[in-house]
Amino acid sequence: MGNFAHAHLLSIIVAAPAVAALVVLLLPESERLAIRMAALFGALCSLAGSIEVLRTYDTAQAGLQRMERYALVPSMGIDLSLAVDGWGVSLLLLTGIIITAGVFASFTLEERPKEFFALLLVLVAGVFGVFVAQDIFVFFLFYEVAVLPMYLLIGVWGSHGKVEAHGPFAFIWKRFDVGGREYAAMKLTLMLLVGSAAILVVIIAMYFAAGGTSFDLTHLANTKFPRELQLWAFPLLWLGFGSLAGVFPFHTWSPDGHAAAPTAVSMLHAGVLMKLGAFGVIRIGMMLLPEGARYWAPWVGGIAVINVLYGALSAMSQKDLKYIIAYSSVSHMGVVMLGAATLTVDGWNGAIYQMFAHGMMTGLFFALVGLIYGRAHTRLIPRMGGFAKDMPWVAGFFVLAGLSSLGLPGLAGFVAEFLVFMGAWQSAHSWWAIPGIVGAWVTAVYVLNASRTIFFGTGPSDEFHELRDAHGTEWVALWGLSLCLMLFGSYPRLILDFIHIATNEYLPKVALVADQLAVLAR
Amino acid sequence: MSPIQLALLATFLPLGTAFSLIVLPGVRRAGKLPGYISVVTALVALVSALQLFAYGLEVHDIARVTTQWLPHSVLGASSAAPSTIEIGVLLDGLSVSMLVVVCLVAFCVQVFSLGYMADEPPADFGRYFTWQSLFLFAMNTLVIAPNLLQLFLGWELVGLVSYLLIGYYWKKPSAARAALKAFWITKLADMGLVAGLIVLFVNTGSFNWTGTVAVAGPVTLLLFIAVMGKSAQFPLHVWLPDAMEGPTPVSALLHAATMVAAGVFLVARAHPLFEQAPNTQNFMAYVGGFTALFASIVAVVQNDIKKVLAYSTCSQLGYMVCALGAGSQVAGFFHLTTHAFFKAMLFLAAGGLIHAVHSNDIHHMGGLFRKMKLTSGAFIIGALALAGVPGFSGFFSKDLILEEVWERGLYLPFAALLIAAFLTAFYMGRVVFIALFGKPSEHAEHAHESGFAMTFPLVVLAIPALCAGYFGAELSGMYGEATHFHLSPVGMTASALGLCGIGLSYFMFGAPQGGAALRTVFAPLGRLAASGIVDKSFLFGYRTVLRGFAGGIGWFDRYIIDGLMNAIGYVTLEVGARLRPLQTGKVQDYVYVMVVATIALGTFAAFLR
Repeated sequence: MGNFAHAHLLSIIVAAPAVAALVVLLLPESERLAIRMAALFGALCSLAGSIEVLRTYDTAQAGLQRMERYALVPSMGIDLSLAVDGWGVSLLLLTGIIITAGVFASFTLEERPKEFFALLLVLVAGVFGVFVAQDIFVFFLFYEVAVLPMYLLIGVWGSHGKVEAHGPFAFIWKRFDVGGREYAAMKLTLMLLVGSAAILVVIIAMYFAAGGTSFDLTHLANTKFPRELQLWAFPLLWLGFGSLAGVFPFHTWSPDGHAAAPTAVSMLHAGVLMKLGAFGVIRIGMMLLPEGARYWAPWVGGIAVINVLYGALSAMSQKDLKYIIAYSSVSHMGVVMLGAATLTVDGWNGAIYQMFAHGMMTGLFFALVGLIYGRAHTRLIPRMGGFAKDMPWVAGFFVLAGLSSLGLPGLAGFVAEFLVFMGAWQSAHSWWAIPGIVGAWVTAVYVLNASRTIFFGTGPSDEFHELRDAHGTEWVALWGLSLCLMLFGSYPRLILDFIHIATNEYLPKVALVADQLAVLAR
Repeated sequence: MSPIQLALLATFLPLGTAFSLIVLPGVRRAGKLPGYISVVTALVALVSALQLFAYGLEVHDIARVTTQWLPHSVLGASSAAPSTIEIGVLLDGLSVSMLVVVCLVAFCVQVFSLGYMADEPPADFGRYFTWQSLFLFAMNTLVIAPNLLQLFLGWELVGLVSYLLIGYYWKKPSAARAALKAFWITKLADMGLVAGLIVLFVNTGSFNWTGTVAVAGPVTLLLFIAVMGKSAQFPLHVWLPDAMEGPTPVSALLHAATMVAAGVFLVARAHPLFEQAPNTQNFMAYVGGFTALFASIVAVVQNDIKKVLAYSTCSQLGYMVCALGAGSQVAGFFHLTTHAFFKAMLFLAAGGLIHAVHSNDIHHMGGLFRKMKLTSGAFIIGALALAGVPGFSGFFSKDLILEEVWERGLYLPFAALLIAAFLTAFYMGRVVFIALFGKPSEHAEHAHESGFAMTFPLVVLAIPALCAGYFGAELSGMYGEATHFHLSPVGMTASALGLCGIGLSYFMFGAPQGGAALRTVFAPLGRLAASGIVDKSFLFGYRTVLRGFAGGIGWFDRYIIDGLMNAIGYVTLEVGARLRPLQTGKVQDYVYVMVVATIALGTFAAFLR
């Protein structure tokens, strides 16, 4: 058994949540505790597996490890092949942490827990799959598995927001319930599906251009695609994956979607799903289409810069707490894309590390926001005030998450942002670093201002009589994520060493790095 | 223990204490216990620091140990030099003397706080000492930094603790706002430090301050922007007076003695870098000189005793920056040392006075000298040292600064510093004559001398405040070139001006009669300085410009960008609705279309042929 588990660890990580989902579905609706325990068990299995993968990854050997390959459609060269590289190691760990924290944070969910946890687990199985899939067809399959349950999760368990009708498109309000949960779910799904369509086109094009024999990622990465294919295909992939990563101007599903989604779903969505998009841009877009990546990098980076500042400024103008955090995700995912576009070692390390750091940070944020909303029954910040009196720990955790997002040293966010800015300065477009740094300051303004309004000053007023601090399983989620933020902020090599190995291996295939430039100079 | 172990003990023991207090709420809320734990921690740190100082007197470069913090291989396109990102411990004359300053002041302040904060509820009392311990960790991290990166890590962490401690009374909206303001403005300035670090690293492959750097000019200028924020130089000083919303011992430790001096420490540390950038140095001298003068003018018209001291801190930091601008690491750092002792003492004594009358207003204190001899005595010693009266520690360091600035030929900043020296003596004299010797006020009726916890630290700090000046030669030997103290015309002029300032303040505020005419002379100057133009423009920049711009962006995103997305959906639905009648579901309709289409296509094909 031990040997079997060890040899199929990746399959187990991916399958554990799916199996747990099945068990949850088989359990009777009335057995709530059993349902929760099954969900928790599935999440913990994956987390333990991810830690084991991290522990046993051979850094000296580097490259893809733990390869598992099962023929799926031999006639078309589709294999269910799984393997893990340095990036995969860190992102598996992130997903494991977030899903465990998410289950803990919504442990006491009352409304249809059976269906909720089943969908949540299916979704996360898809996410795990994407990070280890080595076959682009399977990659895409997992990607869709991860994206689609969101429609139901938001549509059924979501909460209602309200957006007032204004502007030149106000007539639309007659038709759509803008801000409502069905609207948000529909918008999110449709925008992401348009992206998926673009991705599918490119996958098919690459498959045939590479000989039509294999969907294997390594095979495709070693194929030199014709220049014109790369030039039209890369923007399509950027659009497809980028819409999930929240790149401007395809980010507008994100505020509505995150605001409407229930706690665990927001945590998972902002925490890991958005990373799938960025991961896709780098792992598929940049690595399979290096010429396209080099050609379009100025655009990718330029738009990422817009994301950083635009997202931060939009966040500053919001009054709804969830919208603030959602826009802040848009801003921080801009940092990821910025790092990717620099095509430098530091930039890529920073991009992957930002995925990791932002995942935990935003997971913590959404857990807290859900908790505040559950007690205060409003998300409108101007109505709040002085909450720290009744929920001091929540206030403390909120400030901590905020400090990580504004890049305070000692917390994970700093390492990522600093690396990205260093990468930006080394890239062909040094100026990218400046809006990045300014964006971090704007983050300080809106995050701490929100904390001040919600938690400090006089109050709370009489309408908030249900406020109380975190309790029960919520503590596990909050402490777990906070300690991770501190741990990975003060000792980043724990993860960064793995990321660095993969970056060192992959980057030279995409960008001309120092050694090659030195050779060219001679 | 080896020096490195001592330094690590002094740094990480406070972290352990802070962390334990955070995760063990039972201990944190256990009455006075967290206070005692924290004080013992500070004492251990102080003993370690003193032991290191003893080492340092013999060997100037004690030890340097580093370890890799982030993986890094080859630097990007601009150079192929090997590069490292490290953190570690550097112990030399500069860092061990700063360690002693930090630990000594922190210890005194924490002991004082045991008395000053005694009436706080247990939970808040515990929180206060948690942050105090955290501060010691952050500040020591900064001090022992072997390179600019770690210095920056500590720099940001002390900024965080400053935010937490200014906002200690968070139920007060003004305190919550002041905490934010301090954080935002220093963070705004810190963008310069981040950028400076990046430029430095990309060009040299390390964060070290040694070695020749081709881009020293831009780098030092960027670093200095951050220094202006942290060390409250004009026009980024606006957060410091507001920071007085924190408890008074906090003001003594963070906002007078140590944290605000971090900027000066940075420049002293990175001296080799700054030496390569004469333009930056000149700029620093002018900024420092102007700040010294400007802040001392504002201090003259303040009635809040903490505000007077806050502006005076600004002004003295201006002196240090100016000295560093004149290229004198020794003078700047020496003044940092003496200032830390006497200013911390002044703040703590002021805290004692405030505690006694429950007011910050100097007019409410009148005549406290008779009731609180020890506290008042300490305040007077501090005031004399600050005024630069010969024999007190401040005299020696200030004199050194003035000489260095004069020798460097920076006559304009020199003049500013001279006038500021006069004003310093004047405003301190004003506070002393009104608060300690003035007309007794009804607020001060029940005032009495503070307890042991609040007087003992004053006595401890009084010793270096009185004598530190006499060891200038030894100290400067530890962190740079040796200097010898000698009485020069420059120093005599400054001392004479200082004595004039005290005399004038006695004539105006001390003597029962006279001085009315002079007061009218100073009134308009005071109004000009106190009108807060700088503060208002910051407020305008934030409220109107930034918030307005953000509001515009937010609206644009919601109603234009997202509106367009909605419009696409809307158009799709509308088109679908229009096309729907075509699908009637009746077979005869479809057959009809089929026949017509066949005929049309057939005709079309016939024509084509």
